[in-house]
Formats: sequence, C-alpha cells, structure tokens
Amino acid sequence: MMKLIRATICNLLATLTVLLVCGSQVGRMQTGIAYGDDTPTNISLELAGELTVRPSEMKLIHRRHPQSIIVTGSTSDGRLVDLTSLAEFKSVDENIATVNTVGWVSGIANGTTEIKITAGGKSAQVKVVVELPESARMYSFLHDVMPVLSKSGCNQGSCHGYSLGKNGFKLSLRGSDPSLDLKWITEEFFERRINRHNPSASLIVTKPLGDVPHKGGVRFERGSLLHENLLGWIQDGAKADGEDPVELISTSIYPEKIVLGPQMQQQLQLLGHYSDGTVRDVTRLGIFTVNTQRVAAVTDEGLVTATELGETAVVARFERIFATANFIVLDANPDFEPTPVPTDNVIDKFVVQKLNRLNIKPSDLADDATFLRRIYLDLTGIQPTAEEVRSFLADADPNKREKTVDVLFQRSEFVDQWSLKWGDLLQNSRNRLSEPAVFAFREWIRGAVASNMPLDDFVRKILVGRGGVSDDPTSAYFVVSKDADDTLQRATQVFCGIRMLCAKCHPHPFENWTQGDYYGLHSFFNQVTTKNDPRLTGVANAKSVMLNLQAGYSRNPRSGQLQPPRYLGGDEPEVAANTDRREVYAKWLTSRENPFFARSMTNRVWSYFFHRGIIEPVDDLRTTNPPINPELLDALTKDFVEHGFDVQHLMKRIVSSQTYQRGSIANATNGHDDMNFSRAIPRRISAESLLDSLVQATNVPERFPGAPALFTAKQLPDGNIQSEFLSLFGKPRRIEACECERDGGSNMLQALHFINGKSILSRVTSGNGRVAQLLKEKLSDEQLIAELYLWSLCRPASKAEVDLGVSFFKKYEAKRKEAAEDLMWALLNSKDFMLVH
Amino acid sequence: MTTTNSIKIALSTSLVASLLLLNSAVFAMELTPLDPAKAETVSFRKEVWPILKRHCWGCHSGGDPKGELSMDTVAEMLKGGETGPMFGPGKPDQSLLVEQIIGVEPAMPPEKAPLSQAKVDILRHWILGGAKDDSVAGEYKVTIPETYKYAPAINSLAFSTDGKRVAAACRSEVVLVDAEGDEPPQRLPTNCDLISHVEFSPNGELLVAAGGSPARFGGVTFFKASDGSVVNTREIGHDTFFRGNFSPDGLTLALGGADGAIHLVPIDPNSPPQRFELHSDWVFDVAYTPDGKMLVSGGRDKATKVCSVETGELLRSVDSSTEWISSVAADEQFGIGGGRAKTVTGYELKIALQNVQVTGAGNGAKPISRRAQYVKAFESQPGEVIDMVTSGDRKSIAIGGAYGDVRVYTIADRKRTALVSGVPNPVFSLALNNDATRLAVGGKNGEVRIYKLPEAELLKTIVPVPVADPK
Repeated sequence: MMKLIRATICNLLATLTVLLVCGSQVGRMQTGIAYGDDTPTNISLELAGELTVRPSEMKLIHRRHPQSIIVTGSTSDGRLVDLTSLAEFKSVDENIATVNTVGWVSGIANGTTEIKITAGGKSAQVKVVVELPESARMYSFLHDVMPVLSKSGCNQGSCHGYSLGKNGFKLSLRGSDPSLDLKWITEEFFERRINRHNPSASLIVTKPLGDVPHKGGVRFERGSLLHENLLGWIQDGAKADGEDPVELISTSIYPEKIVLGPQMQQQLQLLGHYSDGTVRDVTRLGIFTVNTQRVAAVTDEGLVTATELGETAVVARFERIFATANFIVLDANPDFEPTPVPTDNVIDKFVVQKLNRLNIKPSDLADDATFLRRIYLDLTGIQPTAEEVRSFLADADPNKREKTVDVLFQRSEFVDQWSLKWGDLLQNSRNRLSEPAVFAFREWIRGAVASNMPLDDFVRKILVGRGGVSDDPTSAYFVVSKDADDTLQRATQVFCGIRMLCAKCHPHPFENWTQGDYYGLHSFFNQVTTKNDPRLTGVANAKSVMLNLQAGYSRNPRSGQLQPPRYLGGDEPEVAANTDRREVYAKWLTSRENPFFARSMTNRVWSYFFHRGIIEPVDDLRTTNPPINPELLDALTKDFVEHGFDVQHLMKRIVSSQTYQRGSIANATNGHDDMNFSRAIPRRISAESLLDSLVQATNVPERFPGAPALFTAKQLPDGNIQSEFLSLFGKPRRIEACECERDGGSNMLQALHFINGKSILSRVTSGNGRVAQLLKEKLSDEQLIAELYLWSLCRPASKAEVDLGVSFFKKYEAKRKEAAEDLMWALLNSKDFMLVH
Repeated sequence: MTTTNSIKIALSTSLVASLLLLNSAVFAMELTPLDPAKAETVSFRKEVWPILKRHCWGCHSGGDPKGELSMDTVAEMLKGGETGPMFGPGKPDQSLLVEQIIGVEPAMPPEKAPLSQAKVDILRHWILGGAKDDSVAGEYKVTIPETYKYAPAINSLAFSTDGKRVAAACRSEVVLVDAEGDEPPQRLPTNCDLISHVEFSPNGELLVAAGGSPARFGGVTFFKASDGSVVNTREIGHDTFFRGNFSPDGLTLALGGADGAIHLVPIDPNSPPQRFELHSDWVFDVAYTPDGKMLVSGGRDKATKVCSVETGELLRSVDSSTEWISSVAADEQFGIGGGRAKTVTGYELKIALQNVQVTGAGNGAKPISRRAQYVKAFESQPGEVIDMVTSGDRKSIAIGGAYGDVRVYTIADRKRTALVSGVPNPVFSLALNNDATRLAVGGKNGEVRIYKLPEAELLKTIVPVPVADPK
C-alpha cells in the first residue's frame, strides 16, 4: 500500500526530490525489542537549504556509549523533515570512530575524525573527538543494568515491580530503589538469579530471553543491547557501583518541538545529563510513550510516526527521569496567512503565535450578547437579566466590555460564585466540620473574596489556622483532614496542582516524586492534632486544632528513617525546634520564587474561563503532562506574581483578551482544534449557576430544605443540602480535594429532567412566574417573544425566530398562555440555555 | 472531556483492530497448501522451539502449566493436557494445536497478537513431517570452571560423620575440604547449576548434593563418601530444590522445592520419589524429627508446618511468621523455625500436636492447644536468619545470616553457648560436627571458616576452589 502525499511547492528554488521510506530500520536491532512490521509509506518532498545535523560535533568518552546523529532537512515550504533513516554515514577514519548505517557513532581509539553525511544530494559532517579511558570501564549496575530492568518492563507495576513481586522475584517499582534491587538480584537464594562463573546461565538472563519458562514472556533478544548489558555486568562480577557514583541529573529529547505531516516520521534522540557534566545518548534505553495516541505512535526505539492532525506530548523516561517533546501534526498549507500577532495583550500574543505555528486562524470575536452572557456566567454564575442585556446592547461606549467586568467584580453574585469555588476546593462541609465551623469558614472565605484578598495571603492564613471556630475560622481547614497525610495531599493538590498520593507507598509513576518527598511534606503537618472543642459541647464535629510543637519528624516507611521537612523539589530547610512547621511551609509555598503555587493557581483560574486549563487536568501538574502553551502559562504566571497574586487582576487579564472573547463558531482552519483556544468551546453551565439562572429567568425561586430561606444555589453552605437538581447536575459533595469531584458532564437523566421534570415545567406554568407576569403586561406577540428570548437566552430573537414565534402564537391564539409557556419551555430546553457558549 | 475522548479513541482502535483481524482471518482460514519437501526439513530445535517459547511458554511450561498442558517437550505435547493430545504426527490440519492458533480471533495466545501466517506454517510443516524431535538430550549443560574468576558463594556445608572433612557446596560442585589438616580439597562436579544442600548420610557412607538448575529441574546426586564416586543422579520436576535432611534411617532424603512441594527422594534409584504439597510457595527447608516420623518444614509462604512422613498429611501449621522461613530444625522435643523476621522460634511438638487427629479428610488436624502454650522463643537475631543447623547429636543449634556473627545455643534450654563474631557477611551456610565442638561457616565471599567451639577460635580459612583473582 503506497500513500503518496505530495507537498505543494510554492517557489521555484533549486529543489530536490527525495523519497522518504518510512517504517525504516532506524534503531532496529539496537535494543532488540521486537515489534510488528511497519507498512512502508512513501512520501515525496522537495528539499531546500542545508542539512542540519545534531549533534554538530561530539566527544566520545566511553567505549560502550555510542552517540546517534539526527539528520534534518528543510522543505521549500519551510518545514523540517527527518532524514536520519535516509542518510548515508561514513567515517573518515574508521580506526578512530565507526558509524553504522543508522548513524550511531562508536569511539574506537583516541583521536579526532569526521563523519560524512549525505542525504537527498546534500551533505554535512560531524566532528568526532574520541577520548577513551585507558582501561575499559566496568559495567555499572546503576547506569547499565537498572535501565535494562525498566526498558524490558521487568520492574513495571504488573510484573516484578508489584508490591509483593511476581513469582517470588521482587524489584522496586520502576527502579526506585537500586540498592534493594541489587540485593534481591545478587543475594537472594544463594545467588540463584545470577551465575558469575557462567554468566549466560544466569536466571536473570535466561528468563527474559525465554530460554526457560517465564510467565512474563520473552523480554529481549539474544545479542540485543539489553542482553549485552545484563550479561556484561554479571561477567564483571555482578558488583555494586563504587563509591560516589555519578548521578543522572536530567534528561532531554531532541528535537523538543516537532511539526510533522500525517504519516511522516521523526527519530528522537534522548540524552542523559550527568552530575559530572557528561552527556550520554540513552535513546536505546529510553522508554517512550505518547500522551495522545490518536495523534502519533512511538516505537521502543523512539521513532515517532504521525497519524492524525492534532497535538501531543511524547514522553521519554530514562531511569527515573522524564523528558517530553511536543508534537504537532498538521497538513501542509502554503496558502496559510499567519494572523498578525497582537503585542498589547500577553494572552493573545502567545495564543496567536501558537495558532500560527499550527496553521490555524482564530474565530472572530463573539457578539455583544454572547459576550455578556458568557462573562456574567463565568464571573458571577448567573445570566444577565433582560434589562441588563438591553442596556448593554444599547451602550455605545467602545469600552463597555471592560466596564462590565469592573461592575461584575462589585456584584454580590461574584462573591457567591468564587466563595462557592473555594468552598469546594477547601472542602468546607459538614462531612467533617460542625455547622458553626462551616458557616464561620464560609463567612471568612466570602470576606476574603469580597475584599479581593491577595491569594498568597489567603492561602498563608488558611495554612496556619489553630484553635476552634471561635478562635480562628480557618482552623476548619485542618479539621477537614483526617490526618497529616490527608492535609499534605489536599494542600499539594489544591495549592500546587500536584497529586502526591502515589508517593505515599511507592515512587510516583509519572513523576520523580519519592517517598522521601512525600514524608518530607508530611513532616510539615504532623504537629497538628484535633480534639473536641470543650466550648461547644453537644455540637456535632466541634473540633479544635492543636499543635504539638515537640512532635518529631515523620518516618519514611521504606527507609525506616525520620524524614526532615522537605519542600517539593528537594530542598530541606533548617527548621528551629519548637516552631510551627506549617508557617515554614506556608512561607515557602507562597513565595514569589515558588515554581508551583502561582503557576498552578494561574492555570486553575484560567480553566474556570475556558473548557480546559493550559495544563489539563488542572490538579495533575507534572513533567509528563506539559502545558499546551508553555509561553502563555509562563507569561500569565509572571504577570500574576508581579501583580501581587491579585486574582481579580488575573481574571480581568483573561476576560479582556480576544482569546476569551472569541465566538464558538469554527472557521475553515480551526474546526479540529479543541486545545489551543482558537475559538470558544461551549461548556455546560455548572449545577448551581444553571439553577440560579433558571430561577432568574422564570422568576420562581427554589427552596432548599435545611438551608436558610432565600439562599441561592451558589450560597448553600455545602453539598449536604438535598437537591435533586444539584446532584443530577454534578454538585460535588466536597469529599475530595480534586477538581474532578464536580461533574460537568451531560447525561440522559439531565435531559429527561429538563423535558419532564418539575424544575422547568412548574416554573414556566407558575402563576407568579415570568410568563404570567409578562402576559399581564399586555405585550404584542413580537414583544412577548422578544422578552422571553431575553430572559431565557439573554439575546434578542432573530427575525426568523420572531416570525416563527408569531405564527405559533397565531395558531394557538385561544391558548396564548399555554403557547407562551411552551415557548419558554422550549427555549430553556435548548442548548443555548444549557451551555456557556 | 478527556475521558470521553479517550474512550472514543479506544473504541475506534479496537474497531480497527477487529477489522484488521478479520482481514488476516480470511487468510488464516484459507490454510495454504503445504510442501512435503519443506516438511522434511523443519527443525524442532531451530524453528519450532523458538516459536513455542515466545508464544506458548508463558502459560504452557514449567511446573504448573495451564490446562495441565506442558509444551516443554515434543513428548509432552503428544501427551497433551486436559483437552487431549496437541496433534497426531502427519496431520497438522486436524490438530488441536493448529485449530487453536488460527481463525478470526484465534483462541491462542489469548489477549496477545496472533501468530503470523509464517509461524503457523512452520508448525504445520513440522507436524506434517512427523513432528520429529531433533532437540539434543542434555543440551543444557553445566560448565564448571577449572579456575574461578570469582570465588563462588558457599551455599551449604556439612561435617562428615567422623568430623574430619567438610563438604562445601560451591555453585555447581561439591568440594570436600580437610577440616583440620592440609589435605588438598577434592572437587566433585554435578549436573546442577546450583547446589544448595550437602549432607552426609547418618551412617556416613553417602554424601548427597541437592539443588538443580533454576527454572529447569531439581537435581540430586548421591556420592560415595569414601571416594567421591557417583552412586546415582536424579533429575526431578521443573525447578530447583533448596535444603533438606536425611531421614534418621538414611534411606530417604527430604527436600524443599521451588515448586512449593516437599520432596522425598529415596537413595534407591529404583524407588519413585514422593511429593507432599502442603505449602503455598517455595519450601526452603525440611527437617526430620529424630524418630523419623514427622517432618518440620518452612518456606516463602511464611509458615512453619509439621506433617506425617508416612501419609504426607499436614499435622499442624505451627506458626505463621511475618516473613519467609529460611531454615528449620528439629530435636526430640522441638521443631524450630527461623527466617527473615530475625526471629528463631521453638515449637514444643508434643503440646502443639496434642489431640491432633489424623482422620484422612482434609488435613484432619484438630489441635486444641493455643500457640502460646507450645512456643519457646530463642534470642532474637540481629538480622535475617539464613541458615540454622543442629549438631550430629541434635543437642546444639548454630544460627547465622545477614548480620556478621554466628550464635550457638543448647536446644533444650535455648541458652547461648557461643558467639562467633566477625564472620564475613552475609553467612549463607553453617555446619556443626557431632558434639558441637567445631563450626563451619560459609557465605557470599566464598570462604569456608572453621572455628573451635565454644571458644570461637578460628582454626582455618579456606577457599575450596581455585580462584584466579581472590579479590
């Protein structure tokens, strides 16, 4: 099967046509991991300009650590093409260094030479300096064997990395504890697993080769790098590494950003950076995955094949350190005219820059009515009234959008909306708190939102609360926690956007967090205890937060050692005896330099105004889940910090941008884009806002049993108020600190409830409701229809809609009341009402 | 949003996958005609075996194959499993084997990619050609270096009945070392990769070396103690033995196995071995009570058990540790178990087995005594216990492991009688002579050390095999 995709040529430069044979042999036989046959796909492209080779020069310092070369050409329409599989490599002096057919260079003897590269009729060269140590280096357990255990899958969670091991053989999960792995491999059962005298008879070699029965199957081939490394290490005596072993500090992928056409391929190069300053090409030992498998696929050797239009991160792991590369798959479009990049707005600047790279034009701005409804719902959780719509549409002030934002910040519904959000995140609820505590904490939060308390202040105050309700309302935050584990997980997830639970029992699978990191956080919070508040006898859940300043550090169960307080990222601060360690943590957390707090908060706030965060999910930040637009997040975070963690400022930045104000109608270029904010993606209105908007539209209030009279849905103290409507539309119970506890999804029950349930039916037919009131006003059909549209959908009815409505009213002239009720029922059942669009 | 998307993607890929399967199935159903000439040349060893090990062995091999079907050898495939023989030679397309691996969604291998057409055809040609077995018997061969590069760990030790010699298990061979004099060591090779138990028979006539080749077989070799000649050799089961004990009458060797069973191997090569399946995981050690009627066993299932030698029935699980039981011992009064939990515990068998009725149904044991009534704890050890041995007179016990010293106790009162400190860590093996006046210690570093007790005076240090680089 041949696919011929011909790139269109738009200029007449001297170009060359090359045939790229994909599904190439790149890297194959390098590691010996077996995989399926690729169907060769031929793509013809016109090359222009010179070849780029990476690295442009290299120094080889280890006999067994070859270095790969990535060869890149550029097409006449300015795109980069991976030519590695196509290139021919030749060493000028094979006595110094050799190169294989796929571009891996090995050092042979000390000296300097060159590798000559030709591809598509162009040539390039790489300077090679070989400086080998005098004697061959011993195989290292850490650097040669541990990567094999990971690459061949031995230590994954479903195999020997399982907490109880598999079939009696246990390895630390994903290689988190090399010293235990070494002991288990070399000492258990009288060296049953290795045979230093006859290395190839070692069980740890015969099992993965499949020479003896192995439930895990064949893991690597004879003669592969994985096989060689294991065998070589046993031949060298299966020893531990010597003193002061060099450490892996970071990993990186080349290329880091790639734009490909569908069916095209790119070979990756994974580099390990070590504490002694050396760099090692570890492509053959990396573990590669693709975050969005619809867009691209990657082989065990790091060869990526683009499949569908879209964008994905490719994640590589070597030892325990991750690196990511951003992949964009798009069709060539030489006719694409980039959108001029706005310079006056930090958001629009980076969003448009990204869209230009993707050949996407953003949608036009939304009209005034759409904008008004959107910003009302987003900032205050309620629709504008008919009067508000009318007056906004009539306002001729060119700055009216911005003006509205300032007005909305002053509205009491703004306080309701954001106090509700914080109540969710801080889990303010009678699940674990007394009723007085819930209301006191609620009031405190409302005060903070109303006065626009800077976010760093807000969080700092929450993190050091002590005593009971009457002493300090924020003490509720700690009463919500079952224990210090709960507190550290909640605090890290909400304030840093990081999920630490995994690291309680084993190293985090997608990030480099260890149990040391986990218990380091634990030690900040383990001075807290709660006891019954004696001043509130007979009040359920009345607790008081106590501090035991003498409490020692928490014990890391894996090492058995006490773990001093450790910030995320590894620093362990000096903490004086008898201090409240929460204060130390709070100070670090909210400092301007903290890489997690402002960034995760910025991202979180962003997500409340769009269908997704710049990083999504907003409370699962990690290397392996990179932002869709890093420049945007960095710039916005910087702006947030520079403005003193002013949330209203951040919100205003967001809603003032063109990006926020875009329409939801796709144009010819952005229909497939649902990640880069090129248009507004409609979202279902949250449970409380939907109900409050429904109440306002119909002018029929909702009564919540157990809540103070006239409380709106957003004002309810917690999720323990019985409401069929709110639970159906996903109001969270505040049991988890996860943003995901709020269900923003749509389902059949919701639809049936809207069609048949009393929430809408009884409201539109109510004798005191909107329809009844409007009928009393003796309006013409046209006027009545216009009013119903304004109240229900916050926009004027179109000409066609009015005509349709008028003919409907004419048909049922005798039943005008029912006709009006039916029209409003239909409008409230429309997607226009259910969605922020 | 993300979830919905990923579900959609999963659905569409599985749809694509099943469409692809459908395509390949069309090919697979139309079995291609076979070539009789090709059938004659297919090699089991070179072509068939690699396919089986990649696609079938995950389940159908080793000690406990799925569906009781082992595909380890041609003979086992001909015998078949629960659903009968895999094929009749010469009739590939009427065979169970081929039926299972072709079709729209082949039954085998489950949840994995189906075998390629080429691989299926190799199997079909091979069966057509008569399913000839060109595997070389004993192809797997243990090699013993003349001179070792690294000193092999000492995995088991035993004093000869007269106390003059010490047998040491060094990887694949047994080496007889002069306990006190300077006689050169005598090296006795075996066909096992790993020897983990050596012992002299009670009458001193036989020396046994037991172990095996991991994931291949359990092996036992009986030598004549006097000259080291091989009396007989047996290969049993699919995985190694660990440690065990000669019966007091010297006719049977009891061994713990990596198949989770206790094995009784008669010294008479014509008597079949027996296996008792009482443990749920590897059995590390077995010891006879001095009357020869009961066996004490312990293993990776953390249990210490007592069973009847005659019937193989469990009398009582006397204890359940928090960690593996590495070693067991017994005297007239006590069964003893020790292991990773750093504890050594004696079990007063008479009390533990009070009122135990052997009914023949289930395990039949209905003990009435509570654990506290029969447990007599030894001093806790500073680290993981790896080996425990009794003296020939069964009055003393030596205990060692991953902690750098060896401790010797009188079993009756559990009092410590000697502390041998400064031994290379970890200790893998120990031996006491008949009256506990000599202790042999071996470990990972490959040395055998002989101490005089109770003084703990080091008499001799020897590496039993030649080593090029003693480091």
